[in-house]
Amino acid sequence: MRRRPVLWGLAALALLFLLGPILLMVPVAFSSGDTIEFPPPGLSTRWFEQALDYQPFLDALRTSLLVAGGATLLALLIGVPATLVIQRYRFPGRKAIETLFLSPVIVPELVLGFALFQQLMVTLRITALGALLIGHTVLLLPYAVRVTGASLAMSDPALEEAARGLGAGPVRAFFRITLPVMTPGIVAASVLSLLTSFNNVPLSLLLTGPGMSTLPVEMLRYVEFSFDPVVAAVSTLLLGITVVVALVTERLVGFNKVFSQ
Amino acid sequence: MSRKVTVGLLLVPGLALLVFGFLYPFITTLFAPPTIEDTSVLGRLGELVGDSFVLTVAARTIRVAVVVTVVCLVFGFPVAYLISRVPARWRGLLLAMSIFPLLLSNVVRTYSWLVILGRNGLISQALVALGLADEPVQLLYTELALVIGLAQLFMPMMIVTSYSSLSQVDFRLEEAARGLGASAGRAFRRVVLPLALPGVLVGATLVFAGSVTAFTTPMLLGGTQNRTLATLLYEYANVKLDWAAASAVALIMTVIVLVVSAVTTRLSGKAKVV
Repeated sequence: MRRRPVLWGLAALALLFLLGPILLMVPVAFSSGDTIEFPPPGLSTRWFEQALDYQPFLDALRTSLLVAGGATLLALLIGVPATLVIQRYRFPGRKAIETLFLSPVIVPELVLGFALFQQLMVTLRITALGALLIGHTVLLLPYAVRVTGASLAMSDPALEEAARGLGAGPVRAFFRITLPVMTPGIVAASVLSLLTSFNNVPLSLLLTGPGMSTLPVEMLRYVEFSFDPVVAAVSTLLLGITVVVALVTERLVGFNKVFSQ
Repeated sequence: MSRKVTVGLLLVPGLALLVFGFLYPFITTLFAPPTIEDTSVLGRLGELVGDSFVLTVAARTIRVAVVVTVVCLVFGFPVAYLISRVPARWRGLLLAMSIFPLLLSNVVRTYSWLVILGRNGLISQALVALGLADEPVQLLYTELALVIGLAQLFMPMMIVTSYSSLSQVDFRLEEAARGLGASAGRAFRRVVLPLALPGVLVGATLVFAGSVTAFTTPMLLGGTQNRTLATLLYEYANVKLDWAAASAVALIMTVIVLVVSAVTTRLSGKAKVV
């Protein structure tokens, strides 16, 4: 193997640029000072205590978890049958249907959020939580269809035909053959969907109501009026949880396989 | 008959969701939003396009997105090339390190730049300590801050898409070119680059479109002096409550993204042939 000093140098710089600022947040969160600064004047855990005591964050966390879980479940319940049809049946307009299911990716999320705010919340008077669930499900549907579709495309349809030939009904063939084949794809799509929904800002931004807002949006609001390290503390907690999620994903299905799609 | 029914039943929930939660609101808002006053989107669009402030914001948004795309290419592509050519045990680790930031919220990823770029931030402190600046420097709320924040946000995408197309390039082709007397640079330019180009173009499009539509980063790092189309849309929608104007900005943003995606799809189609 040849040495590549220039490439390694560039890679080191790029990784420092990507990861350095994120890691810098940890010491800032443990600061004893009143504003975000590095190096911190002293160490304390008071910003963590304050973050865990701040009711708007706790309410927003509950909303975020509810929306992420609900939208992921809905996107899979709606997306998996659609994927099955797109991958396993040949019919006129199949390509157009597939494009339609993947198309929410192209639209700017902020624009979709604004559209849902106007048409669903203002015109149809749907609640913020309802609009959040609908919007996030639309956002996640393309992931569900693409990721589970990829795992289905790699499997052999002859397996299902064999099961049918041996006397299994379509439902039994689905649960005994197709679903197990799709499982890695479904796990990957779930992890990807949960994180995508939980982290989203632009879509959730306008879909808020009294006491109804997601955690990232609430963090953004907080930063707008205060420079104290509370948000650094929340970010550090989220960083820790994300590292755990990444390690678990690596164990279950392979980190790079899930997140490089 | 029963097959048709099955196909229909399996597709109906998805189609219903896409019509009700995507197509209907999206199209209505872009072209015929409910208005408080008697203003149409197209009328407002005409006014906005004639407004030098909006034009400045649109130009800034595109300028920043272009610079971010170039920065991501210049750093991201070599990193992707390195990842595709190192032994497997390094490959997984380098790829995972490049991807990891994508798992975090943009709020978390942008927040640190407040600590680094602010008046009392790391860079300002360093410049003063080195005698390069007489007084603390404010780098926040500048276009440079936007470029830095967005480049950090989108470089992983550039690395991943470039890597996935580079990893499909048979490295023996490169070796063969070298064996036939081409320099490392020439082998790279004439063999590797043309083969990897479609993936790189896709990556560049994702970075560009992401930069044009990003909200969190311009909100935190651009401030009021350096608005982009996304923060302008938010202001019309949420502060000024001028929904026709918000729809018009949304339309401009959507058109930019769709046009760029369409152009790259054509280009990358052609690049595959080469």
